[in-house]
Amino acid sequence: MKRVAWIYHPDYLLHAPPFEHPESPERLVAITDRLGAAGLIERMLPVTPDYPEDPEILSVHGREYLDKLETACRRGDLTLDSEDTYLNRHSFNIALLSAGGAIAGAKAVAEGAADRAFCAIRPPGHHAGRDAGMGFCLLNNTAVAARYLQARHGVEKVLIVDWDVHHGNGTQNIFLEDPTVFYFSIHEHPTFLYPGTGRRWEIGKGKGEGTTLNAPMAPGAGDAEYRTIFEQTLDPAVDRFRPEFILVSAGFDAHRDDPLADLQVTEEGFRFMTRHVLALADRFCGGKVVSILEGGYETSSLTSCIELHVRELLGE
Amino acid sequence: MFVARRMKKSLVTVPPSASLFEAQSRMRERTIRQIPVVSDDGTLLGIVSDRDIRAAVLPAGLVPGFTAGEAEKFMKDTAVERVMTRKVVTATMTDTLEDAIVLLHDFRVNALPVVDAGGKAVGIITRTDVLEAFIDALGVGEISSRLEVVVPDRPGTLAQLAAVIGSFRVNITSVLSTRHVEEGKRANFFRVATLNVGPIRKAIEEAGFEILDPSKFLLP
Repeated sequence: MKRVAWIYHPDYLLHAPPFEHPESPERLVAITDRLGAAGLIERMLPVTPDYPEDPEILSVHGREYLDKLETACRRGDLTLDSEDTYLNRHSFNIALLSAGGAIAGAKAVAEGAADRAFCAIRPPGHHAGRDAGMGFCLLNNTAVAARYLQARHGVEKVLIVDWDVHHGNGTQNIFLEDPTVFYFSIHEHPTFLYPGTGRRWEIGKGKGEGTTLNAPMAPGAGDAEYRTIFEQTLDPAVDRFRPEFILVSAGFDAHRDDPLADLQVTEEGFRFMTRHVLALADRFCGGKVVSILEGGYETSSLTSCIELHVRELLGE
Repeated sequence: MFVARRMKKSLVTVPPSASLFEAQSRMRERTIRQIPVVSDDGTLLGIVSDRDIRAAVLPAGLVPGFTAGEAEKFMKDTAVERVMTRKVVTATMTDTLEDAIVLLHDFRVNALPVVDAGGKAVGIITRTDVLEAFIDALGVGEISSRLEVVVPDRPGTLAQLAAVIGSFRVNITSVLSTRHVEEGKRANFFRVATLNVGPIRKAIEEAGFEILDPSKFLLP
């Protein structure tokens, strides 16, 4: 059995919507209940995340944006720019703690305390760009973890696999011109789904040309189509890139029961993707994988998929 | 919207005496595919495209023993006025973008030089400019979600739909309404600035409208 770090903090529940909203603390409550009942949490290594240091956040986000976010929360603003991205008085701190969770996962694996990590964190991050939060996301947790690994652990090349059903426009933009971070996203086609980016010809810019890879999926696509992309599109790219560390932006909203999208992925699809990424990590990265929670808004499928995901991480 | 808003004003031109070689080099430098030919006072005399130039050189190239050097010499010795199109399809400053789209389509041209009342070339609008206008109008690339709704073809339905969307305090960044394949119906496309389209879809369905299931389009 593999040692899997379990990153969670009860304060993650403090970022709560002031109106009805799919990205709610209940998601994490349901996840911890499910994993607890399945006896999985006790089989993982609990890690309590801490607040990140300034440079760790500033490696991804601009100071002005952080100030704006902090002020908005202190002032009691209910939203950041649009109703999508709500705030309460805790949101700034909890966004930092969420990014701290991704760092804690990366740290546990990089230092060898664990083989793999699952970060049950929120708010999610992959829509957050350097200077703007959007789409339920405030700070880009996965990007912060990638930069942390490069700055503190001498990791040169990081692969991000983003299987949230929405394109991670924030992550893509942050690393668009960076050849050291390979961003792969599989998502519902931008003509049909938020945020409307992630077309197949978006492949990076300048020095980063070729280290962004997008696989937009037609509405109705499911396990078989996902498998084809992983095997025929992702594999050759990873083969060329040769990452030292893999971060997964793990959203579970491509599931057929999720109300926010139109795809048909099942539990088996998520099991396949998890196994596939673990195999890539074994091949290139000494097995180092950190999975970071993004979206997933239908409780039953979210929890069943995460249970399977964690079982695979544990190597049952 | 008028052509003047979308046309390129920094117009690249050649005089009628310019050689094919000069015209081609200028097009390559500026990565354009056609170039208006104007007189000293800016009056539009014709237009020459990279295809016109290739077509002019081609017959000479068929002569046995014709070398690359001779082709270049031919291009340097031949003035654009000998190969340019004189009956130019043009737009005027007061033509609308719709006029330009129809002209480009109906006359099967790639570009319309824009002329003022005195016949002087003041700009050019190309198929690319028109596509750009479409990309903007469709809201492609704006952070948003898309909704496709089929409604009965009767007055007031678009307003009803907009009211439903508006009740979620969500911005509509693009609207398109077209004939639907089904008789008596219209398809309305919205781009809305939110990730959270689920509740909006539900409310639209509860208001009695049909949301198109995009996966159904893919069925043969």
